[in-house]
Amino acid sequence: MSEPTADVLIIGAGASGAALAWSLADTRMHIVCLEQGDWVDPAAMPGMSVGWEARQATDWNFSPNVRNRREDYPVNDQASPIAVSNFNAVGGSTILYAAHFPRFHPSDFRVRTLDGVADDWPIDYARLEPWYDVNARMMGVAGLAGDPAYPPKELPLPPVPLGKLGTTLAQGFNRLGWHWWPSDSAIATREHEGRAPCINAGTCLVGCAQGAKASTDITYWPVAIRGGVQLVTRCRVREITVGDDGMANGVVYYDADGVERRWKAEVVVVACNGVGTPRLLLNSRSKHFPDGLANRSGLVGKNLMFHPYAMVTGVFDEPLEGYKGPTGCCIMSQEFYDTDVRRGFVRGYSFEIVRSFPPVYAALWGMTTGRLPWGADHHRAYAELFDRTAGMVAITEDLPDPANSVTLDPDLVDTNGIPAPRINYTLSENSSRMLAHAVARGREVLEAAGARETIVDSPMRVAGWHLMGTARMGTDPRTSVVNPWGRCHDVRNLFIVDGSIFVTAAAVNPTNTIQALALHIADTMKRNLANLFDAD
Amino acid sequence: MADFTSDDERMLTTLLETILPPSTDGRLPGAGGAALVRHVASTIERMPMLRTVVEYGLSGIGERARQRNPVGWDALSAAERTAVVREFTAENEFFLPGFLFLVYTGYYVDPVVVRQFGFEPRPPHPAGYAMEAEELDALLAPVRRRGKMYREV
Repeated sequence: MSEPTADVLIIGAGASGAALAWSLADTRMHIVCLEQGDWVDPAAMPGMSVGWEARQATDWNFSPNVRNRREDYPVNDQASPIAVSNFNAVGGSTILYAAHFPRFHPSDFRVRTLDGVADDWPIDYARLEPWYDVNARMMGVAGLAGDPAYPPKELPLPPVPLGKLGTTLAQGFNRLGWHWWPSDSAIATREHEGRAPCINAGTCLVGCAQGAKASTDITYWPVAIRGGVQLVTRCRVREITVGDDGMANGVVYYDADGVERRWKAEVVVVACNGVGTPRLLLNSRSKHFPDGLANRSGLVGKNLMFHPYAMVTGVFDEPLEGYKGPTGCCIMSQEFYDTDVRRGFVRGYSFEIVRSFPPVYAALWGMTTGRLPWGADHHRAYAELFDRTAGMVAITEDLPDPANSVTLDPDLVDTNGIPAPRINYTLSENSSRMLAHAVARGREVLEAAGARETIVDSPMRVAGWHLMGTARMGTDPRTSVVNPWGRCHDVRNLFIVDGSIFVTAAAVNPTNTIQALALHIADTMKRNLANLFDAD
Repeated sequence: MADFTSDDERMLTTLLETILPPSTDGRLPGAGGAALVRHVASTIERMPMLRTVVEYGLSGIGERARQRNPVGWDALSAAERTAVVREFTAENEFFLPGFLFLVYTGYYVDPVVVRQFGFEPRPPHPAGYAMEAEELDALLAPVRRRGKMYREV
């Protein structure tokens, strides 16, 4: 059987792979995407059954190590205080994400110039702004214009409802004179491009059976496939191969039956995000690249950035109806976003208000925090907790550190025998101080909103949703892996389009920026098709 | 479904009732109903680690009960059962998190229980929950008054 060939072969059908595939579809090239997971059937999502909360702790857990599905690869994150979260399917982690969808700020691309730390990006906000706008339309972003924390922007859908919980917290921010604003959310608050509106079911983190939350299986992919892109599921790429000329010439992968196959390609695009991408590159060794593909700088896998999270939960006297509404999207505060050296750290953080716990999770949270006894006193204590909590998370800006890394585990492998990633990560002193500051300010605002008690979880362990920096972008091949439009310095027909190319992390959820970057890269590729592999 | 012996099932039922007795006002049932026993049995089939927790707990608590009364767990009063479970869990810290996961994931989906907290006993989808959009202008007025706050580059 002859080996299939693609003009462009994309690895990974998540946030970035989908956006890039959609954008490239109008070139009419033969574009193929290989995805290790499968399509997710909305009817099979946990929110369709009463036992949905238990499934969030088991087969729909954030952690691939807990889910342990065939399509998941294990991650050794024992040497990290933050555990990796992801999802492997068409749509990738957008299936499980909260759909909190802020943009980076102009200052986030200039941290070296402004604050003397890390590095500036080789691109700026103005470069990405038109792609944020395209992405807002494609994903269907809800929000309110006029946020003084951002340059002007228009979003296609009205904001998510605050509910009693959000309104209560907003009043707390107002009492302190602090900034807050309704969250930018990739959630259809009314019908959008064929998607049904949000019904406030509160199940965002186990998939949205309604189809209101913008996961790329229901946004970009249907359009890309109609445009001719071929998406092949249950195919796990083992390595990207190179020819004698040192250019990528295809991939070796395992199909749904575990059979090893090869797919040749003129251009290869990696879209596996901040852990999957370095894992794949490090597994792609050859005589040209004995230390891993595109790794002559030695930076593949280095500079891993999470967003260290602190969670502060307030317990109130009155019911807040917090089980209703988009789980992670309500309001955001950027009062402490920018550097103020008097605080004892550089850069800053955002606060995001999250809804309260549904019945089972209220009990489990009460148990783990020691606030819910078993025995005769249980019912009284539960009645004082259930629907009386409001949570806020601080999402802090992690700075790049080469010691924080993704490497290959010497022992751990996935179901196809491919070496698994290992995380080495230490929380920096700067991040620790930022978390402490955020916890104190979080308590202030919850108390200003009327909380009678606050409970802290910091740093949150199961919070490694945002995976960035492990194949960073730059103009110098000695200090970066890809150029300002995602092309690997070392391999000119190999592109990376996911969170691994971030130079810095900002202090907001990254998916919107990941997709804006993917759209920017696709656009640059299209404009340079005639000389795509030429020198910069 | 895990195949408990009749002795195990009887002990599990009363252990569940010890962990979550009925509320004093009678509005909330205890956890010892047949539905929760079935929930425990079916869950540990899918999650073998929890089967170990349950089997270890039943065995250890049973042994400790026999130290109090040779007839064992069945012969103990409610207060004695509570004391035995407290002793056992104090020495076996891993038991409660796993066991309470089983209890809470079954108990707090019980239609009788969730109705007491104002919930309809149904999945969140497809009906969802009604929420009204707020009038934000007044609430946001103080924020708007501060003016632009993002950093120029």
